[in-house]
Amino acid sequence: MRPSRWLGLLAVVLALAPFALPPFFLQLLTEIAIVGLFATAFNLLMGFGGMVSFGHAAYFALGAYAPALLVKRAGLPMLLALPAAPLVAAAGALFFGFFIVRLSHTYFAMLSLAFAQIVFTVIFKWKALTGGDDGLLDVWPPALLKSPAAYYYFTLAIVALSLAALHAIVASPFGYALRSVRENPRRARFIGINVRRHQLVAFVISGAFSGVAGGLFAFYNGSVFPDFAYFTKSFEPLVVALLGGVQSFFGPLTGAFGFKILEWLVSRQWPVYWPLFLGIIVVLVIVVLPQGFVGLAGGRRLWSRLTSKA
Amino acid sequence: MSGLSVGMFLFLVSVGMSLIFGVTRIVNLAHGSLYMVGAYLMVTLVEVLPDRSWSFWLALLLAPLGVAALGGLIEMGLLRRIYGRDPLMQLILTFGLILVIGTLVLLAWGPDNKSVSRPEALAGSVQVFGQPFPSYYLLVLGLAPAVAVGLWLIFYRTRWGMLIRAATVDREMLGTLGVNVAALYTQVFVFGSWLAGLGGALAAPTVAVALGMDGDVLTTAFVVVVIGGLGSFAGSFISALLVGLLQSFGILIFPAVSIVLLFAIMAIVLIVRPWGLLGRPEE
Amino acid sequence: MVPADQQSLILETVGLRKRFGGVLAVNGVDLSVPPGDIRAIIGPNGAGKTTLFNLITGDLAHDTGRIRFEGEEVSGLQPHQLCRRGMGRTFQITSIFRRLTALENVQTALIAHHRRHFNLLARAGRLYRDDAAGLLDRVGLLEQARKPSGILAHGDQRRLELAIALAGAPRLLLLDEPTAGMAPRERHEIMALVARIAADTGLTIVFTEHDMDVVFAVARRITVLHQGSVLADGPPAAVRANADVQRVYLGQRAAP
Repeated sequence: MRPSRWLGLLAVVLALAPFALPPFFLQLLTEIAIVGLFATAFNLLMGFGGMVSFGHAAYFALGAYAPALLVKRAGLPMLLALPAAPLVAAAGALFFGFFIVRLSHTYFAMLSLAFAQIVFTVIFKWKALTGGDDGLLDVWPPALLKSPAAYYYFTLAIVALSLAALHAIVASPFGYALRSVRENPRRARFIGINVRRHQLVAFVISGAFSGVAGGLFAFYNGSVFPDFAYFTKSFEPLVVALLGGVQSFFGPLTGAFGFKILEWLVSRQWPVYWPLFLGIIVVLVIVVLPQGFVGLAGGRRLWSRLTSKA
Repeated sequence: MSGLSVGMFLFLVSVGMSLIFGVTRIVNLAHGSLYMVGAYLMVTLVEVLPDRSWSFWLALLLAPLGVAALGGLIEMGLLRRIYGRDPLMQLILTFGLILVIGTLVLLAWGPDNKSVSRPEALAGSVQVFGQPFPSYYLLVLGLAPAVAVGLWLIFYRTRWGMLIRAATVDREMLGTLGVNVAALYTQVFVFGSWLAGLGGALAAPTVAVALGMDGDVLTTAFVVVVIGGLGSFAGSFISALLVGLLQSFGILIFPAVSIVLLFAIMAIVLIVRPWGLLGRPEE
Repeated sequence: MVPADQQSLILETVGLRKRFGGVLAVNGVDLSVPPGDIRAIIGPNGAGKTTLFNLITGDLAHDTGRIRFEGEEVSGLQPHQLCRRGMGRTFQITSIFRRLTALENVQTALIAHHRRHFNLLARAGRLYRDDAAGLLDRVGLLEQARKPSGILAHGDQRRLELAIALAGAPRLLLLDEPTAGMAPRERHEIMALVARIAADTGLTIVFTEHDMDVVFAVARRITVLHQGSVLADGPPAAVRANADVQRVYLGQRAAP
């Protein structure tokens, strides 16, 4: 089946889900969508831009806290507050990204981690504003969207729109140029591309959509906590993208699906064991894949031909 | 004063991490976890050993050895297979280890906080400059420079130490000279783990031994190592002292700002001089 | 040897100097390239050819000296800025976008050239397809258009790099060892292609080369570098007859 037919089928299945599935599964699907968006936004940088960030939780957290603060402290309704998520996250990405893109590889990763820890610490310590490690509670959607099914549809809609935007960006001239920067920065410079500026714009876009995911999660969860920005959260999109395949557009979404199902299955039986399980998977994936990213790309090429147009 | 001792724990962890990076070029994110294991082992050993005056010291001796053994397992079982791979994959792998070790600790010791009492000889406090100062810190303040001197002697006065220093500068060269570089890597990792374990064991009587210790120490040690220079022994020493002091005094003066300041300094160092104050630039 | 009117030179370097630690890689190089020239820069390995290129294209900062492009001082400009001004370049080690197809490679170069690389909305796959195909055809790669460029044969990759460089509509093209790794016949083919394109479009070519047959077949002027300085500079016949050049090169030619 052609990719667009798969998508059509998927859309129908997802639309009908609330009629067939109990609320718990709707919530699981909602989480999958959110994590899928976060990982896809992250992968704009990693798979398409060749930049691996270890601190993307910062933008997720900014995207969660911004609307939450507006709702709790300024009394705004959710629908008005939510647009703050991508805006604040993008601002954070712009500020931090300006410094981060000056470095490469390991140092890029380390600096992004450092900035994420700064965000975490600021949220943690600024108790007066953010509630510190008590977090902000009672961050709920308006009554209309409060039921699992309603919020599920709402999330699907926003995630679908976001993914469509990201897909358009990947297929756009910007996306072509971004891939060229990933492939060969030196050559990219010599066709007239200001590499740093390009990477910064990609960083901001990635941060913005990570913020959207964070905002959706805030109202899904009903509360926000500082550990949304903790470095362990930064590894979620990374692992998800790796599992699903970084070279294809829909890889991270697939990875999110598998990841969350696994998490549900393992946590159900042995809640304590999930981090262990995850850690072992990560270790195995890395040790067993002989060529790291390239091997992953090679193995996934068939899958990516089936699922992506990038 | 307590800032100095905090600096000492940091130093032990950081120098191990820095050492490992200097030789193997792997940033061991699981180093904080090794520190944590050292602290937890201390808890168990102190409980298990008979209630004598020497049991604390025996535990202090054994705990780091346990961590060193764990380090050896990790190096031989896992890290060996990924040398020469994309450094980011290596980072991700050591991050996976954080999860694995953290859960194993939880399974073995349970979720409650633990504590280790100080040995009788050092349970009280002494007067320093008119302020009461916990005697235990004297041990730390005494031991840590001893360790530092010991490390210096090892690195600059033994053949093994010379090999290590050479390896931080040029590993390939060392291999062509007939040195068993693989064995050296294992030894370095084991030694670095021992140092982390010692840090954890020493710190156990002074902090709450709890899950989450690994993350706290990791992030701070990371800052220390980056500022001091990945791979630089002296850099880690100076940096650890500075950071320890900054943390302690900072907490007194600007509690909210101190940690942010630390990370900001780390960020500045990464931007301006990524190889740290005393590290060596590489391409 | 040096054209009278400085303004008419497309590329000029004056006293260019670059030191790496203890080594003076480029030691006072004066270069004057008039428009339409096909200039070969030759010299033994280590003579400073690639360093010279890197200085001209902004990849490296020079210690002293001046670089002028079309009469304007361009020292300190970054590579992407120089590219926009009309300077193109190929690299000693083939520098293409491996995971993109040959067509996508050239399309990306065209997109950047037309300053549409920040466009987030259009479908890039359709942009400049015909122009890109035209360029591929020019270098003889039209049949390979849809293949991932990383799997192309070495010679084809170099042709692709040429097409990429040409996409920027440069007025000056710097080719760093364009025929490296090719069999002799292909070397002549590709340099003949370059010369043809130059003749058709008025493009100025500066290239480095080790194969003397190719050099004498194509170059209008030759500059000989030796240990970072210019040893000789002039038309091929004069350079060939130059005693210093013969001395330096006699040793090189004998080597395997």
